[in-house]
Amino acid sequence: MIRFEKVTKTYPGHPHPALDNISVDVEKGEFVFLVGSSGSGKSTFLRLVLREYRPTQGRVYVAGKEINRLASWKVPRLRRDIGTVFQDFRLLPNKTVTENVAFALQVIGKSRKEIKDVVPETLELVGLTGKGDRMPDELSGGEQQRVAVARAFVNRPMILIADEPTGNLDPTTSVGIMKLLDRINRTGTTVVMATHDSSIVDQMRKRVIELDNGHVVRDQAQGVYGHQV
Amino acid sequence: MQLRYVYTELGQGLRRNLSMHLAVILTLFVSLTLVGMGVLFQQQATKAAEQWGNQLQITVFLCRNGDSNPVCPSAVTDAQKAEIETVVKDNPEVADYHFESSETALEKAKELYGEELFSGDNPAITAEDMPQTIWITLDDPEQFEGITSAVQGLDGVSRVQDMRKVIAPILGALSMLQWVALVTAAVLVVAALLLVANTIRLAAFARRKEIGIMRLVGASTLYIALPFLLEALVTAIIGVVLAGGALAAVQQFGIEGRGDDTLKFIPWIGWEEFRLALLTVAVLGPLLTLLPTLVLTRKYLKV
Repeated sequence: MIRFEKVTKTYPGHPHPALDNISVDVEKGEFVFLVGSSGSGKSTFLRLVLREYRPTQGRVYVAGKEINRLASWKVPRLRRDIGTVFQDFRLLPNKTVTENVAFALQVIGKSRKEIKDVVPETLELVGLTGKGDRMPDELSGGEQQRVAVARAFVNRPMILIADEPTGNLDPTTSVGIMKLLDRINRTGTTVVMATHDSSIVDQMRKRVIELDNGHVVRDQAQGVYGHQV
Repeated sequence: MQLRYVYTELGQGLRRNLSMHLAVILTLFVSLTLVGMGVLFQQQATKAAEQWGNQLQITVFLCRNGDSNPVCPSAVTDAQKAEIETVVKDNPEVADYHFESSETALEKAKELYGEELFSGDNPAITAEDMPQTIWITLDDPEQFEGITSAVQGLDGVSRVQDMRKVIAPILGALSMLQWVALVTAAVLVVAALLLVANTIRLAAFARRKEIGIMRLVGASTLYIALPFLLEALVTAIIGVVLAGGALAAVQQFGIEGRGDDTLKFIPWIGWEEFRLALLTVAVLGPLLTLLPTLVLTRKYLKV
């Protein structure tokens, strides 16, 4: 589903590459934690998957497409196969929960009927039934993140990317979000989650890829956060 | 495609950036009006040149009955005409010439001054009153003195008019007005382009959250740019309508109303020429806003 072949990414004006010759393979339906300190290359990894950047060297394949060669006008199509969740939720403050989720479908041209069917379904899946008419600022942080997950998942993407999704949440709420991501993963969606949250990684016992200074220093099935073999 | 979002965004965008949009509309209005005026002046110059011949021409007025010039005891005779023609034909400076009868001169006059003067039982002017003329086109407009002096003294010639003396100042004034209008318009067009660019930058900034999400969920570039393009189109249309109105007012009150009465000897442009000016403005207006929008949305909204 996601495949990095000897990928190097150097940003203009920076002598050291953000990613240095890494090769990673993520299969369909996998759940992968991407761990490492700030500046280790996690964000660059995710941005390459989203084709916000092209790699400097090497090849990146996402959902069967080689993103190096993907024409700009085809990028929107690629992104419809990828859902994205961020630490800061990124909800539109002037729209209700339902509208926020529906927005993702509206702007890719889905019909009103389809939106009407799918959005409540997705809100139910993330546990927000009955809160569709609330505004984002009337919700708790955990609930806001659920809205963001609903928005990322409403188009049933093949891949879900989560960049520190629990970074702004307390531990109990974080567990709820992790359960939600796990449920989404069980529907067959590949999940890649960058995180600093060691307790979550330790609890979930999923594959862990650790980056350090642009290198993959660990790739472990059912791993934990810290260095353990 | 679901366009509900696009229309709400369009409305919001127009309200949110109202002062910038007004600035764009006003600048467009003035610059388009000036472009339109430039077109009108140019048409006016062409029309004047058509009526009087171009600047290369000189006109030889032949004697007529009751000519005020003492060298003309009576109307020009056929023999005198033949003599004059020989002189004109043999002159090396003459590129071309043609006779114009009194009747043709009368028709031209009618076109300028209207039928009333020339009709009825006792018309003020008849073909008899109009002189016959020879219109001479020169090879080199600077070399008019030779032919003028050659023809001047001949029997049957009342006077020689170098049309450049009549037309040059009028054409000169028209051409100057045209250039003043077009140069001012060009400066304002640059101002309009900069304003459009600024407006887009502000709008893109105001919508950065929405735009970020749209890019992430895979909205097409066109879809993201559409509200911007529609905003540009709306401001262009308002600008064009205002400029069209101003030009129509100039045409109606300036030309049809006043110039036509007080400066009758000039053949004035009509609504047909106005339509051309309007068309120019209607094409230019949307181009001026849509082109920078297309370029800048590509820059600011890059996927």
